[in-house]
Amino acid sequence: MIHITLICAAGMSTSMLTQRMQKAAESKNLEVEIIAMPESKFRKYKGETEVLLLGPQVRYLFEEIKAEFQPKGMKVAVIDMRDYGMMNGEKVLEDACKLLG
Amino acid sequence: MDIKIETIMMELVVNGGNARSCAMQAIAAAREGKPDLARQLMKEADESIEKAHEYQTGILQAEASGEHLDMSLIMVHAQDHLMNAMTVRDLAKEFIKLYQTERSAAVIE
Repeated sequence: MIHITLICAAGMSTSMLTQRMQKAAESKNLEVEIIAMPESKFRKYKGETEVLLLGPQVRYLFEEIKAEFQPKGMKVAVIDMRDYGMMNGEKVLEDACKLLG
Repeated sequence: MDIKIETIMMELVVNGGNARSCAMQAIAAAREGKPDLARQLMKEADESIEKAHEYQTGILQAEASGEHLDMSLIMVHAQDHLMNAMTVRDLAKEFIKLYQTERSAAVIE
């Protein structure tokens, strides 16, 4: 089971994207759990995360978040702006899986 | 119409969000003494806001011409993103100026 967490300012538009990603995962028979939350909440989040994806609106926090969470074994990346705008769940999921190699 | 509205909302969120990120990064660049990078990031912020504006104008005109648009939470949220981006962009311009003044004052001293 892969755990993917999406974070943005309010966790609202990312939660729309998680639905698309979950659907894409189901059609590919991938075992993933995708959740979304505001960036501030994630810092207190105790659940598992292997891939942490940032919405374009919190891209400016990337270096800070990467420095904090990469040493804990998470892959951290910013979601491509185009994919985010188009709500391309399939592509975002694909990119997330690539990060895990 | 549903899909189209959702696409417009996401364009507002993504372009507004990008502008905000650029403006925040521009402040950091100015603080680190990289005025060229700050300027370049502010240019990108302006372009993103302009793009978001075009989408916003589109729905405003549609409504003004009598087309009824259902209000949704995501619509309000998208609008929040744009307004927030504009505020951060305006403040970023002032911060960049402030860092520049601070630096040139330090040079004179």
